[in-house]
Amino acid sequence: MVKDFESLSHTADIKIRVYGDTLEELFRHALIGMFQTVGPQAPDCVVRDGRLVCMQLPQHHSVEVESLDYESLLVDFLSHALYLSDVHNEAYLDVVIEQLTPTFIKASLHGVKITGFEVVEIKAVTYHDLEIKQINGAWQAIIVFDI
Amino acid sequence: MAHEFSLKDLIKIDENIYEIPKSFRSDMRVPARIFMNAQMFADIKGDRSLEQLVNVATLPGIQKYAFAMPDMHQGYGFPIGGVAATAINQGGVISPGGIGYDINCGVRLLAVNMSADELAPYLSELATRIFHKVPSGVGKGGKLDFKAGALDKILRDGAQHMLKLGYGNEGDLEFCEERGRLDNADPSMVSEQAKKRGADQLGTLGSGNHFLEIQKVDEIFDENVARVFGLEKNQVTVMIHCGSRGLGHQTCTDYVRTMMHKVNQWGYVLPDRELVCAPFTSKEGQEYFAAMSAAANFAWANRHMIGHWVREAFHEVVGQSIQVRTVYDVSHNIGKLETHMIDDKLVDVVMHRKGATRAFGPGRPELPALYRNVGQPVLIPGTMGTSSYVLVGTQEGMDASFGSSCHGAGRKMSRTQAKHTVHGAQLRKELEQAGIMIRSNSDPGLAEEAPVAYKDIDTVVSVVDGAKLARKVARVLPLAVIKGD
Repeated sequence: MVKDFESLSHTADIKIRVYGDTLEELFRHALIGMFQTVGPQAPDCVVRDGRLVCMQLPQHHSVEVESLDYESLLVDFLSHALYLSDVHNEAYLDVVIEQLTPTFIKASLHGVKITGFEVVEIKAVTYHDLEIKQINGAWQAIIVFDI
Repeated sequence: MAHEFSLKDLIKIDENIYEIPKSFRSDMRVPARIFMNAQMFADIKGDRSLEQLVNVATLPGIQKYAFAMPDMHQGYGFPIGGVAATAINQGGVISPGGIGYDINCGVRLLAVNMSADELAPYLSELATRIFHKVPSGVGKGGKLDFKAGALDKILRDGAQHMLKLGYGNEGDLEFCEERGRLDNADPSMVSEQAKKRGADQLGTLGSGNHFLEIQKVDEIFDENVARVFGLEKNQVTVMIHCGSRGLGHQTCTDYVRTMMHKVNQWGYVLPDRELVCAPFTSKEGQEYFAAMSAAANFAWANRHMIGHWVREAFHEVVGQSIQVRTVYDVSHNIGKLETHMIDDKLVDVVMHRKGATRAFGPGRPELPALYRNVGQPVLIPGTMGTSSYVLVGTQEGMDASFGSSCHGAGRKMSRTQAKHTVHGAQLRKELEQAGIMIRSNSDPGLAEEAPVAYKDIDTVVSVVDGAKLARKVARVLPLAVIKGD
């Protein structure tokens, strides 16, 4: 499997590095990384290799987010997903991105109802150490979550 | 490339105080001061906390020093354990990242009129009762669900509104910082999204390092002050550590975004985007302050409610005659308007305390009358299975750190590392063998909060005491720990 994200060390919070061949893939992997890192718990799904795997992702939300640049857009997009997750008790394990520009994203989130998170709840997506960069044609981002 | 700090970068002021001079980096407006001893340096040099503190020293309007408490560790924007005062009439800013996403995360201490021995036969049932009464995990809404109008009243009046609704008592307000209500709060400045997140989360602990502990007073260091606080050896206490839940997290997120869109217009050059800020007197600064105050009120209402359920649990399990009294409630993630003596002048400042506790000394008008002669109780939770402390604010602390102290032990090990080092189920067994009952559904959650992941609380508190930021009054030990998942 192509590596989509990995956890990095941080004294108190959660820090992940996300990979993507395209920016769309980077945003998608960032969303998956955010939720899979904290172990969502759903009765009809199974945990395989530390990740929640579900046959179906029946909960859908269309989201449109506008922001200043790719970094801000990533923070605002993930923050919006976090808000929806908290209000609806859902975790989003996939996203279909319809449109992505440096200042706008239109996407549909796909997820499941959850009973909680195995590890911890994420309070917020921060700008700390945030960077999106291109290495040998592929994209990488580092994101720190406050927990 | 980040600078790798060594002790040579720091000037030793005394055994417990070190300084990074203003000359260290050209954009520093003031020097940085760290309360620590030489041994503790090993725990912080490896993370980014000192660099983050230097970044704080660049904030417009900052006064005297950027401070870090001995429990300091890497955060985002500010280090955790960071304190910064910005002068309102000198272009001082307010920075949401300097207050934190968990607005008014804090600690409430309750004292019970019984000894640990008297409680022993009831302890297990009591712990279970509290675990069921106080929703503690992730994704679990509370037992209360407030519609928009009712929620606005809580945001405006905080714990005071909960008393009106019939929860808690007058003493819970009297012995709470700000009497459980910041009057700058404006519910209309809190977004609908934040309100939706908060609607069913009042009276819930949340996850991570939040907890509720049944404890006993293990040692008294200052008999006189302990008497004033109503604490004696072997007495049962309860400590509640939690914050403003999703409502606060969303409020901070919202205003970081708002300020991010404006920051270039104010001409600020920020070493870290997470330090984004607004002039306190600007429209955005005022709106954030009003929203932050409302979220702080929500947090006080939250701890007030949890305190009420703890009291109910004691009455149900032990007996109606049991008295459960609030000793004090302190915030350790908050922005406050305060007046301090700076260069022989009284200056109005926005005091940012992020992972730092207010520790006002004797005589301050903000303190309840009963405590005014001795100083405020400073509540320092330790880690699961270790001690926690009650200290008292000092006049020396008013001068040395704007009346601020540490807020806990402070992490030294990442959560991932903790999980690799500690096995949750094993830890649960060890704590239970040590006589500490655990009520938690999550072993990985336990492992992440293992004592080994934190600095030694006794050392942290001894630095606070040694630097006279606050003085030791009592040490408490856990009997039962109730945790979020």
